[in-house]
Amino acid sequence: MLTFKFMRIAFVVAILLGIAIPLVGSSAVYKRLSSSGDALAHSSLAGVAIGLAAGLNPLLISILTCIVSFFVIELLRKKFNKYSEVGVAVVLSAAIGIAGILSSYTSASNFDSYLFGSILLISDLELYITIILTVVIVLFSLVFYPQIFATLYSVNESKVSGIKVNLLTFIQDLLLSITIAIGAKIVGSLVVSSLVVLPTAIALQLKKGYKFTLIASVIFSVVAMIGGLTIAYYANLKPGATIVTLSVGLLLLMIVYHGIQMIIDKRKLNKEESQKSQE
Amino acid sequence: MIQFEHVSFSYPDTPVLKDVCFHLEEGQFVGILGPNGGGKSTFLRLALGLLKPSSGTIKRTSKKISYIAQTTAISDTSFPATVEEVIALGLVDSKIRFDFAQKKKRVKEIMEEFQLTKYRKRLVNELSGGQLQRVKIAKALISQPALLVLDEPDAGMDEHAHENLVQVINQLHKKKTTILFVSHHPHDLEDADAIYFIEQGQILTYEAELERGHSHVDL
Repeated sequence: MLTFKFMRIAFVVAILLGIAIPLVGSSAVYKRLSSSGDALAHSSLAGVAIGLAAGLNPLLISILTCIVSFFVIELLRKKFNKYSEVGVAVVLSAAIGIAGILSSYTSASNFDSYLFGSILLISDLELYITIILTVVIVLFSLVFYPQIFATLYSVNESKVSGIKVNLLTFIQDLLLSITIAIGAKIVGSLVVSSLVVLPTAIALQLKKGYKFTLIASVIFSVVAMIGGLTIAYYANLKPGATIVTLSVGLLLLMIVYHGIQMIIDKRKLNKEESQKSQE
Repeated sequence: MIQFEHVSFSYPDTPVLKDVCFHLEEGQFVGILGPNGGGKSTFLRLALGLLKPSSGTIKRTSKKISYIAQTTAISDTSFPATVEEVIALGLVDSKIRFDFAQKKKRVKEIMEEFQLTKYRKRLVNELSGGQLQRVKIAKALISQPALLVLDEPDAGMDEHAHENLVQVINQLHKKKTTILFVSHHPHDLEDADAIYFIEQGQILTYEAELERGHSHVDL
């Protein structure tokens, strides 16, 4: 499998995205922005359609569209206040509408490659962008780890401590938007938003602290990327779809494992209590 | 340490605070009482710089402020954070630091002081109300703040935990920490140097409020 150059590049990109996506995705999950990921993924598709129809680089236009969409969602979230999820629905609908209309002016195979991803057909530009993005995200997450964690714990307490909460959030949002746009090209618009949420959802089942959960989500994400790509290669399946299905499988396994663990703990506790009462 | 000069604050079409003058001096323990919706939280948010006044001026001379908010992310979600991690957040500000060993030592010391060492790996959302309160206070005090601001931190606490909190606050007062304490319970503020009452957007001294015949603020 690794004798092919395209497979080696695919694995490198999969591992890099496996690291980058949960690092920015976990904050989105904790801030209840999971559904924004879905809207952004569809926005990336609209960006691709605009790029292809206008003869511009689809990936770069897709990145721009994602960034603009995120800030439109935030704007609408503030405007609708109590009904904040309306912003996500509006951007998602607009993105689907634009992508649908403009897809008529693009070649079907080109458009499909963005719908389902094309991890086996990565250009040099996409490889370089992924490497730079991952390095930036890893450095940002390491250097500002305490501030990011503090902001997720309490925005107001962080502001009082002097943390530049708005700037930090702006950078996080920017990185999330770019990651989704690139992830959409590589694993597919239809599945990238799941990869933002699933690794953190799996890691949360372990019921551990913030640092442990973050590291575990990166490990689960990389495992799903490598596992999904390998299965897709040997079973001749679509890589993006296989990666996300494997992630859902991992989540179900973790939920079952956690359920069994709880039953065992409860029985143990009951046994101890009955032993104590007999004594 | 904090000075309000003729401060007013309004949300669109809703005036919240009207012409408030208030001084908090260094080393003072000041209590704030008042009914829900009277403007207490807005007053506190203005004092902390989280809101800007519609008119008037607010001066703050201290930058070393610790704030215990009424609610945080942990209180109503399954946000994963251990006791040790949350307490360490009290040392975080805008600066990038690499003094990990010193930070670890300080966290260990404060956990021992608040008898939290045995819970250090436990998730904060699995703690009882009283234990959670100790964590919040330890987090607020780890940085040895010059000013401690508490916004009704006793919500959901049992009586024992509540008494402990009052004890800790009074000890801090003796050590000359400046304290601004918004509470629901007048007897929390027995040792306060001054008590103010915020109602309908106005701030009154405790004595003035008593003169108005509000027996519910009796200590």
